[in-house]
Amino acid sequence: MKRNKGMIVAFLTPALIFFVATFVYPIIRTVMMSFFKIENVVDSIGKWQFTGLANYIKLLQTPIFHTALLNLLKIWLYGGIIVMTLALLFAVILTNGIKGKKFFRAVIYLPNIVSAVALAVMWQQFVFSNQFGLFKPFADMGGWAWLDPEHKFLSLLIAYCFGMVGYHMLIFLSGIERIGGEYYEASRIDGASRVAQFRYITLPLLKGVFKTNITMWSITSVGFFVWSQLFSTVTTDTTVITPMVYLYNQTFGSGNSVTERNAGLGAAIGIILAIFVVIVFWVCNRTLKDDELEF
Amino acid sequence: MSKQRKLPSHDRLRQQAALLPGYVIIIAWVIFTFILLGWVFCASLSTTQEIFQGQVGLFPSGLHFENYAKAWSSQNVSTIFANSLVYSLISCAALILICAPCAYVLSRFKFTGNMAIQNGFVAAMGVPVAMIVLPLFCVIAQMHLVDNGIRNRLVLIFLYIGINVPYTTIFLLTFFSNLSRSFEEAAAIDGCPPTKTFWQIMFPMAQPGIITVTIFNFINIWNEYFLSLIFANSDTMRPVAVGLFSMINSMKYTGDWSGMFAAVVIVFLPTFLLYIFLSEKIIAGITAGGVKG
Amino acid sequence: MKKILALALACVLVLGLFAGCGAKSDSAKVVYWSMWESTEPQGKAIAESVKAFTEKTGIQVDLQFKGRSGIRDGLLPALTANQVIDVFDEDIDRVNNDFKDYLLDLEELNKKYDYEKTAVAGLMDACRVAGNGTLKTIPYQPNVFAFFYNQKIFDEAGITAAPTTWDELLDACAKIKAVGYIPITCDDAYITCMIGYHLGRLVGEEGVRDIVNNNKWDDPAVAQFAADYAELASLGYFSPNVASNAWPAGQNTELAGGKVGMYLNGSWLPNEVKDTAGPDFQWGCFSYPAVDGGVNGPETCNYGAQVYAINKNSKVSDEAFQLIQFLTKGEADKKLSEYSVGIPADTTNTEWPALLSGVKPVMDSVSVRWSWAVGVESNVDITPAIKENTLKLCGGSITADEFIQNMKNAAG
Repeated sequence: MKRNKGMIVAFLTPALIFFVATFVYPIIRTVMMSFFKIENVVDSIGKWQFTGLANYIKLLQTPIFHTALLNLLKIWLYGGIIVMTLALLFAVILTNGIKGKKFFRAVIYLPNIVSAVALAVMWQQFVFSNQFGLFKPFADMGGWAWLDPEHKFLSLLIAYCFGMVGYHMLIFLSGIERIGGEYYEASRIDGASRVAQFRYITLPLLKGVFKTNITMWSITSVGFFVWSQLFSTVTTDTTVITPMVYLYNQTFGSGNSVTERNAGLGAAIGIILAIFVVIVFWVCNRTLKDDELEF
Repeated sequence: MSKQRKLPSHDRLRQQAALLPGYVIIIAWVIFTFILLGWVFCASLSTTQEIFQGQVGLFPSGLHFENYAKAWSSQNVSTIFANSLVYSLISCAALILICAPCAYVLSRFKFTGNMAIQNGFVAAMGVPVAMIVLPLFCVIAQMHLVDNGIRNRLVLIFLYIGINVPYTTIFLLTFFSNLSRSFEEAAAIDGCPPTKTFWQIMFPMAQPGIITVTIFNFINIWNEYFLSLIFANSDTMRPVAVGLFSMINSMKYTGDWSGMFAAVVIVFLPTFLLYIFLSEKIIAGITAGGVKG
Repeated sequence: MKKILALALACVLVLGLFAGCGAKSDSAKVVYWSMWESTEPQGKAIAESVKAFTEKTGIQVDLQFKGRSGIRDGLLPALTANQVIDVFDEDIDRVNNDFKDYLLDLEELNKKYDYEKTAVAGLMDACRVAGNGTLKTIPYQPNVFAFFYNQKIFDEAGITAAPTTWDELLDACAKIKAVGYIPITCDDAYITCMIGYHLGRLVGEEGVRDIVNNNKWDDPAVAQFAADYAELASLGYFSPNVASNAWPAGQNTELAGGKVGMYLNGSWLPNEVKDTAGPDFQWGCFSYPAVDGGVNGPETCNYGAQVYAINKNSKVSDEAFQLIQFLTKGEADKKLSEYSVGIPADTTNTEWPALLSGVKPVMDSVSVRWSWAVGVESNVDITPAIKENTLKLCGGSITADEFIQNMKNAAG
């Protein structure tokens, strides 16, 4: 262990230098800001007005923030289940000796490389269009439209998940590839079925990758912003608002109107979101312990 | 994989047959992806009128390559690509050199502050980018670090690295945490110093994770918008994302939607080729490094 | 490993090649951060005019196209950090509010260069109001928010005069419907403007702000708005897609596609949809009609402009003002108007772009200025609910009473 001490320090230092230089000042500032009323993020401290917990209390009492949180939880939970299931399914199929693996992998990841702006226009004006949409027949059966206020959230969720599957599939793939063929080879000789292989080899060994995936999914969900904006041009929509959108509206003003701004409130939302991510990470670490598995 | 190729042919056939449901699912998804992205591509060759009358892909008035000419001439495309390439490559390489050791130590050794560092990294990722970028800009601009070209570029690269350190480190944690300790023990018995053990044995073993995170970092930095918008002080320093957004916005505001899709495709194609090229190169590079070590 | 190192080294070398591009000279030079993109018509016109300005006066200009988000999010941090920026521009209300600590009072320069003589009086007044009584901004690219209509459909329906009252609007809708077209459509992006205007006609902008900021959803004006719009919906005067139109589907597919008669929007609309509408599309324009029991009429409108401002810390404010004057007068103003199909800011430029000929009478007749959406978006906590429920009301999925109830619930 003593021999390692020098290495620990040497290995940590560069990363910590970058981390401290980039994050420490803004984060401390953000934590402080959340207890003040501030018109603009960059206002000097002299202009801040101390309000104690008022920002947090106001958030508790604001119905639209509750809606935003609820939307976030729905995206995180439903979207998470859909994306993780599909991503894992695709990753398992691709590592089972399928032909053209590289091609399929590239195509499934493809939507991540295309600008979100173009994808959002494509979904709204082509797939979900109420006039000539690809998915219009589904909506017609029920007598509704994809982008009406009642179904906009569903549309958004579908569009978003479609893009995210490839990203999480790559993470699963990297985890499964690391397991190595010999485990499967051995179990195949023992007569294990593919399902059994998946259940008794792949899943347990993927615990760590699941942790990474869930952590990353939580972080991207919390930052859910661009898609919500693209699905609600100019003015924010109740159906697709997320805390990050609300934060942005509070900090920079919303739409075309000049509205009252409070960057302190925005900071408080930022803090709440960061705490949420840490909790998810902590729970994952607790429940998906992978230390005992070494291979 | 290599073992499977040696199986007798009827066995291989049976194996492929068992994979049939898998093929069906994957191919269905791929076709769906092609329809969606194909629409974007076809829209870039249509007129705006056709896009909004649901005639994309029918090309009633022929192919409109002039959309591309318009989008191409509207920006200094070669500059923004060169900028992005430099920013992304340097940052990605630096991130691996900085974060892999850090992730290894964090996942391998118990010491005071370990969990605090991990939680700090995770919390930092949860804080909105705007809250990080704007206060930083005020400090850095007051230090006159964005006033001149080369300094401005170095600041940009420093921040691309800094802002992705938590992500890269947290991502790599798992890939080190369940490597067998027997490797290090064996190396220690052979008298190999732990630092060398890491670079020559452990680092290559985490390569699937390293490849994957490098791809993500590359795409992240390539697409990074807000930081670049605030920090790139002049047009000559803009990366692709800012340039693309500027093109997209101007096309949207003038109602030139087909031009917008053309701009998107112009930016997409090199990015995609780069993604394919890099993922192959990185795999090859790291495999070679591992074998040599 | 070695490969990665080599790669990094190579990159540093490449980086070295880029060095020096950004070096700036230090002679007196006006730094102008523009809200436009270099690729937009406005950006192109301004770039050309800035060049002409330097040729004429010898004053150097460092023109940086920051785009809208570059100005909205990036200008204030840059001003705070004392970056050298002399001239910037954005929307009239945003500049006068968000950047108010950095605005130079322009009254003196205005007098010195006799600027106001050929400026639009209403807009100069609006700038003074926005600047708390003194001129801190110079308006250009004026716009007006009103009903835009398809003249061909109006002709076919036999509507000879544009509606000025709510009843005339209903009448026009009936005629349009009778000849097989859809009377009105809207996009999600602009739906709040419809409720804003209607409430504005009933209680004025102050009244609207009072309702949304103090949650007075049992105000009779709200009830009347809900009833009037529920009637429009029940009579089938709204497009069946009105609740599900994602911008720009309504304006591009329905209005410009020739299926719909009217659309409430800004005077930038003809330019935005010119590719879809085609060259034969004939535009008409009328101000939002007067509503029974209301406190104002078509003379009150949401109109505005982009504005130029000078940083109060600028060391070249005189040169900066000359630049602004050059860009908003004569040839440069005309060029901007032509390139962007916009309204000129110089009153001696009497020739408007052909697409906007219908807008001129409306712009000339308005006398009182409302801000965006008549203030209905001034409470960020309630705007999303207003948007959602107005969409539902127009789509016919809720009744007038449900609208009021939903708004009360949303206000908490």
